[in-house]
Amino acid sequence: MKLLTHNMLTSHVKGVTKGYPLIIKATEVKVNELEFNSQFVSRMIPKLEWSALIQAAEWLGHSQDLPSTLIPDYENDEEFLRKVHRILLEVEVLEGCLQCPESGREFPISKGVPNMLLNEGE
Amino acid sequence: MPVCDPLFNETRRRARRVYLGLIMQELDQTVTIGATVPTGFEHTAAEEVQEKLEATARVSKNRGRIYFDITTDKLLKVHQLKSLDNLFVVVKEYDDYQFKTTKEEVQLDWQELATKLPWTNALEVWKLNNSIKKKKGRRKRTNPTKSDQCGNVGTKSTDTVPSDPEELWEDLEALEVKGNQRDVSSQPENDSEEEKHSEIQDQESGVTPLKFRVTCNRAGDKHCFTSNDAARDFGGAVQEFFQWKADMTKFDVEVLLNIHNNEVVVGIALTVESLHRRNITHFGPTTLRSTLAYGMLRLCKPQVSDVIVDPMCGTGAIPLEGVMEWENSFFLAGDNNGTAVSRSVNNIKHILKRTHDGGSSSGLPLDIIQWDLCNLPMRSSSVDIIITDMPFGKRMGSKKKNWELYPLCLREMARVCKPGTGKAVLLTQDKKCFLKALSQMEGLWRKLHTVWVNVGGLHAGVFVLKRTAVVFGTTSEVVMEPHTATGSQKENMKDASQ
Repeated sequence: MKLLTHNMLTSHVKGVTKGYPLIIKATEVKVNELEFNSQFVSRMIPKLEWSALIQAAEWLGHSQDLPSTLIPDYENDEEFLRKVHRILLEVEVLEGCLQCPESGREFPISKGVPNMLLNEGE
Repeated sequence: MPVCDPLFNETRRRARRVYLGLIMQELDQTVTIGATVPTGFEHTAAEEVQEKLEATARVSKNRGRIYFDITTDKLLKVHQLKSLDNLFVVVKEYDDYQFKTTKEEVQLDWQELATKLPWTNALEVWKLNNSIKKKKGRRKRTNPTKSDQCGNVGTKSTDTVPSDPEELWEDLEALEVKGNQRDVSSQPENDSEEEKHSEIQDQESGVTPLKFRVTCNRAGDKHCFTSNDAARDFGGAVQEFFQWKADMTKFDVEVLLNIHNNEVVVGIALTVESLHRRNITHFGPTTLRSTLAYGMLRLCKPQVSDVIVDPMCGTGAIPLEGVMEWENSFFLAGDNNGTAVSRSVNNIKHILKRTHDGGSSSGLPLDIIQWDLCNLPMRSSSVDIIITDMPFGKRMGSKKKNWELYPLCLREMARVCKPGTGKAVLLTQDKKCFLKALSQMEGLWRKLHTVWVNVGGLHAGVFVLKRTAVVFGTTSEVVMEPHTATGSQKENMKDASQ
């Protein structure tokens, strides 16, 4: 699971209103190279919940000194964009779980795939 | 018999090569290629042809076919196109063929036709094509669900025209095309894709006749013959003309006779028409051909940084096809079925293995999640495009039927999709149920257009929808009960402006 995906995932347990962001508890993390495209990154940034991304990166120990709020004119800062690219697409959680911050419910991640299925009545 | 002096033979071969070399240059001429595409996607296929070959394609009145002209150096690129199912080179086209009214007369006409057709160029293209197919290497049948398609997932194998011109010229040498065309002969080709080096066949040293078959597709109500009649009669004429051997299963040359009312096209197949394709109904409606997946993706027009979700991905046919072509979008594939999810994972690993060079472990802009699509664990308004092959009631496995499922799906999709800019491209066979569910959506979706397609012999529709600017509720929305299509969302809704 990449952090870009994590940024869009939220807890959907019944009754939960503050299910975002899901807490990442990773037991196995891998870094895979992926071709950098600055346009992709700079267009993706406005779509993200930035603080959730920083938080997730910290949980995985890959925060890379990224700022907690976006700097202006980031579109032209290639070094910055490359760091973002790395966190969004190259750092992957292979094993672990995602935890709902409100209910504590854990969703396992196995072979990079989170299982978000709820049981009946959840 | 020729003089056996090796020097003499060598000189003669060289001379022949030079001669053929000149012909090769002339061969870089224009030929007409015909291609079959999933019906309904003729125009997206034409777009791809325009984009990648810079050739204008025309759509045949005979559905599911397009034609375009290329120079022969582009033949390899044609094979790499993703919208096309099967390829053939056109021998000749007739817009307004006048068929006689008795079977006997029609048969005589076929006999005459076989002798008059301009076979030479087409056969040269066929030969060129054979060597290209060898160079392409193995295109494994990696369709995640079924293997009825050749080379589904794009391969990044050699991008160049056959790297060994020598071998190509040797092939042509063996062809020995002459004026009266009766002596066309060649080393019989294996129909497997083994890398076999074809031998130089000198005409004088004896020839082995090619094996061939004729495949006829006929449509129209004014013909006094059936497709079998035409295949048989035309086949007989071709056999007599070339002295080839007829063989229905192990053939070197497949001659295509396509008759659509008064439009007749004679062609030579450039791809092996898979026997599986004819029996596509065996695999059931859940099979999604990669050409169809590709066509659907083209309809979405994915942009850089688009988040594209397939919430019912099965074994991942659509997202995989997507990630191979649109590298600058991000794909999310999800399914509730654990087996489907594992297969998708394996399919990805398979692609990664095929595309990585050296030892680098590179990733793809794709993630897989196991989820329930009626209750997506995603933030509202986070998705740009939803694209999926909607179930026909079987794959879901649970008691929910389409008439309960479809409204729930559409609602949840509307929630996660970006208002105003979001799109959905949904394939379904249950059109009635789908349209009914859509009408209950209180203006969340607007129909842009529909493409009618044939999926495994069943009539299905690909619905292209636009997400309207109408705003949805919050992420912790409880799953709606069926039949209560309205609910708390009403408070948040503005009038559908689009």
